[in-house]
Amino acid sequence: MNVRFIHCFAVLLLFGSGPGFGSEAAKKTPGDWERELVSVEVHRKQYDYFQPWTKHVQTVVKAGLLIGPREILTTADGLDNRTLVRLQKGGRGPWWSAGVKWADYPANLAVVTSTDEKFWAGLKPATLAEPVKKEEEIQIIRWRAGNLEVRKAEFSRFTVSHPNMSDAVHVQLELGSEIDGVGWSEPAIAGSKVVGLVFSQSGNQLQVLPSPFIRSILDAQKKGHYKGLGYFDFTWQPAENPETLDYLKLEGEKRGVVVIDVPDKRDTHPVLKPRDILLQVDGFDVDTQGDYVDAGYGHLLLENLSTRNKWAGDPARLKVWRDGRAQDVVYRLPKAEDAARLVPEAPFEQEPEYVIAGGLVFQPLTKNYLRSWGQDWERRAPFRLAYFRSQDPTPERPAVVILSQVLPDFYNLGYQESRQLVVEKVNAQKVNYLSDLQQALKKPVNGFHILEFTKGETLQKIVLEAATLDAATKRVLDRYGIDKESVIVSPAK
Amino acid sequence: MSNKFLCLVLTVVLAGSGLAAEPERSVIQIMTFSQQPVWDAPWRFDPVRRSSGSGFVIKGKRIMTNAHVVSWAKQILVHRYQDPRPYLARVKFIAHDCDLALLEVEDESFFSGLEPLKFGDLPKVRSTVVTHGYPAGGEQISYTRGVVSRIELQNYVHSGNRAFLTVQTDAAINPGNSGGPVVQDDLVVGVAFQGMPGLENTGFFIPPPVIHHFLKDIEDGRYGGFPMAGIRVVPLQNPAYRRYLRLPDNDLGARVDSLLPIVATEKLIQLDDVLLRVGKYEVASDGTVLYEGNRVSASAAFQTAQRGEILPLKVWRQGKETDISLPMNVYEGDRSVGNQYDVLPRYFVYAGLVFTPLSLDYMKTLGQGWRDVANAELIYELYYRRSEAPDSTRTEPVVLASTLAHSVNANFKISNHALVDKINGVRIDKLEDVVRAFESTTNTHHVIEFVPNHAFETLNRADAEAAQVEVLKTYGVPKDRRL
Repeated sequence: MNVRFIHCFAVLLLFGSGPGFGSEAAKKTPGDWERELVSVEVHRKQYDYFQPWTKHVQTVVKAGLLIGPREILTTADGLDNRTLVRLQKGGRGPWWSAGVKWADYPANLAVVTSTDEKFWAGLKPATLAEPVKKEEEIQIIRWRAGNLEVRKAEFSRFTVSHPNMSDAVHVQLELGSEIDGVGWSEPAIAGSKVVGLVFSQSGNQLQVLPSPFIRSILDAQKKGHYKGLGYFDFTWQPAENPETLDYLKLEGEKRGVVVIDVPDKRDTHPVLKPRDILLQVDGFDVDTQGDYVDAGYGHLLLENLSTRNKWAGDPARLKVWRDGRAQDVVYRLPKAEDAARLVPEAPFEQEPEYVIAGGLVFQPLTKNYLRSWGQDWERRAPFRLAYFRSQDPTPERPAVVILSQVLPDFYNLGYQESRQLVVEKVNAQKVNYLSDLQQALKKPVNGFHILEFTKGETLQKIVLEAATLDAATKRVLDRYGIDKESVIVSPAK
Repeated sequence: MSNKFLCLVLTVVLAGSGLAAEPERSVIQIMTFSQQPVWDAPWRFDPVRRSSGSGFVIKGKRIMTNAHVVSWAKQILVHRYQDPRPYLARVKFIAHDCDLALLEVEDESFFSGLEPLKFGDLPKVRSTVVTHGYPAGGEQISYTRGVVSRIELQNYVHSGNRAFLTVQTDAAINPGNSGGPVVQDDLVVGVAFQGMPGLENTGFFIPPPVIHHFLKDIEDGRYGGFPMAGIRVVPLQNPAYRRYLRLPDNDLGARVDSLLPIVATEKLIQLDDVLLRVGKYEVASDGTVLYEGNRVSASAAFQTAQRGEILPLKVWRQGKETDISLPMNVYEGDRSVGNQYDVLPRYFVYAGLVFTPLSLDYMKTLGQGWRDVANAELIYELYYRRSEAPDSTRTEPVVLASTLAHSVNANFKISNHALVDKINGVRIDKLEDVVRAFESTTNTHHVIEFVPNHAFETLNRADAEAAQVEVLKTYGVPKDRRL
């Protein structure tokens, strides 16, 4: 146990005495939970990335937990593109108008509030637990048809992984339960405390945001310290092959993992180098599998140290073995939301971007677009587009624009079957963003627009008539009932 | 029952007296005992497999059948019509691209009393054909009648990456029919060869133009294969594109959109050339030609040429017609993305690490759903890099196919099926580089780097060299390499 860890533990104890986290010795009755658990109804616009100009209306009812004065905690899932939020208490009765105080999508947490005083009457704050004990009896609670449903769950394990649409990685609690249809912020409880919020379900396995992780973010939010989740942007491999550590001339016992890839950011000097042996992170020893020992959870993947009471921009003290000796370096955690990806998540709270030109539909390649192929999208999406996810952005190709489909019109006769083509150039100008495309379309070549696509087995070139493009676009919009010929939200780059 | 059928009955009776030459007497049943190599343990073979197909006698005391009927054969037995005696046969010529083969029979008495079948022309759509063969479901010869449903280019499943002229029929073509003749007016108008899973009343046969191309090819004593122009042609029907190319707004001409890396083609053909004529065939704006009354892909016109021939083309370039004489040669640059035959897979085993070239055959060892489970890097390398990034393409990408467990490699964490980038600093462009990289270093450790992300593993060189013989012996690997 090192000094750093003791310090962290002290912080947790302080949290325990803060508002909304008051300790309760006695086990609660269902009546107590009924005053802490509320329903959150969200009406939202759901976009169809195959037809980015269309939006469906979706209504989600999820669980919320009173955690402090006028504060309902819930997961951030389903809150983006919201049009109306309402709250209900006691599992029945009136719905009260509400608003989102803040939502952090990478962390998958949000706080909802209402200005209506009557709503808060009779409610009391729940208590978020310290790390869940494996031997405790765990239950899942939710409102169902006006009654509080309480279902048994069993501790399975702690894992560290990407919980949602973000590069941030943090600890999760995995539970087993016969309950179905959960994943909308239902509290997992043990005794009188909440041990986490269920955010997804796969069969009988429930994924839960553990309370200590939630508490750390709530506390940082209150203190104004929270800057978003960070992540480790370097790649490492386990060092379970002792020959590898011998080859790298590590002295002493076998330990640490080997850094194999460090992003070339060009603007900052990387503090890590390929073939460094990462020995410690913030004083925690890293073993050859890449685990450290966490007092609250046991063995966890070292990636959890990028979100363990740390935020984007915070320093992490790394000890590495380099040039035959141990060296200390300070690594600044990059912000997960800013992760440079060739295929990024589409920004939250933003309608999908597109440009329609003469019936040709252009879109940025995003994960949201790929997810349009359904739950099994990683297999079902076109391989070449999905493969871009494994490629790093470069100055030559920082982002990808695709011709996603063609809305047939006599203007684009002969191109109707073209789809999912990666745009390289338009009128000899490189296209990385939709704004590039729009600019390029202002400069036809000898009366024609010349579109070039990536080399490969698919179509590589299209030529359109420039003079009639605008008329064709108007005609297509009218015929297909589309309001706008383009949506470009991000600033021109 | 038609007159035709009555006539057939009559000839059977005559045949019994040794005077007839009805087609079924020249239809042969073929039993093949074959053994395929195991592509991720290339020194091994799968269990011996027994399969049956059909064939027919053609002039020159030869039996024509499908290549897939006799591929990887260890022994071929042929049976005459209603004759219980098996005869030993061997492959004389085999064409894996167009799925045809010719067999010889060791005992020439096999052909005694058998009339070679003659070939007819490409049958007309809607005309009636009869398949002859020995399909599953019985022991005796079987006939099925159907009409020619359509004629177009189809992918030939045996090679996996070549498409040729194909005739579709509703005559039942079932397992065992492969290699059997499709007959019309006592002439062979095709060789039955494949079906399409999930479709009923749909069988395919190889038509005379493809068969004749094969027979002409082997006249010099060896099979060279269908040449390829390496020109990817796309429809040119958009009025603006036609104006851009200053091309008359008629229905002629398809556009050259990309080229394969074939020297002669790259030298003579340009992107945005418009293909107007291939040989005697005029090319329409949808990329088709009218081939004996059937509208089919212009590829059929290119396939009329033999390897080494010069094919006259007419293209539209820079606003005028230009004549081009295009040498036609066989393209082997995409061999690894098709099914491979005849040549045993190459490999090198070092300290239990099995290295082999990346190929479709190797990928299929991952199972039927290999595309879902394969490392994406392998799929990209196999199918995309060659066309997208030719400068970084390796001659023969190499994979770590499997690991034969031994204490020297037991701590490896890299999963098998990984693409090898470098060994001891040497970029692995082909399998020989692996051998050279391991055998030329004097460092204490071997360092093997993989794609992507520079993941690597190390071996203690002295331990690896000491383990080599033991590993080969333990796993029954007869030789450490097949290069």
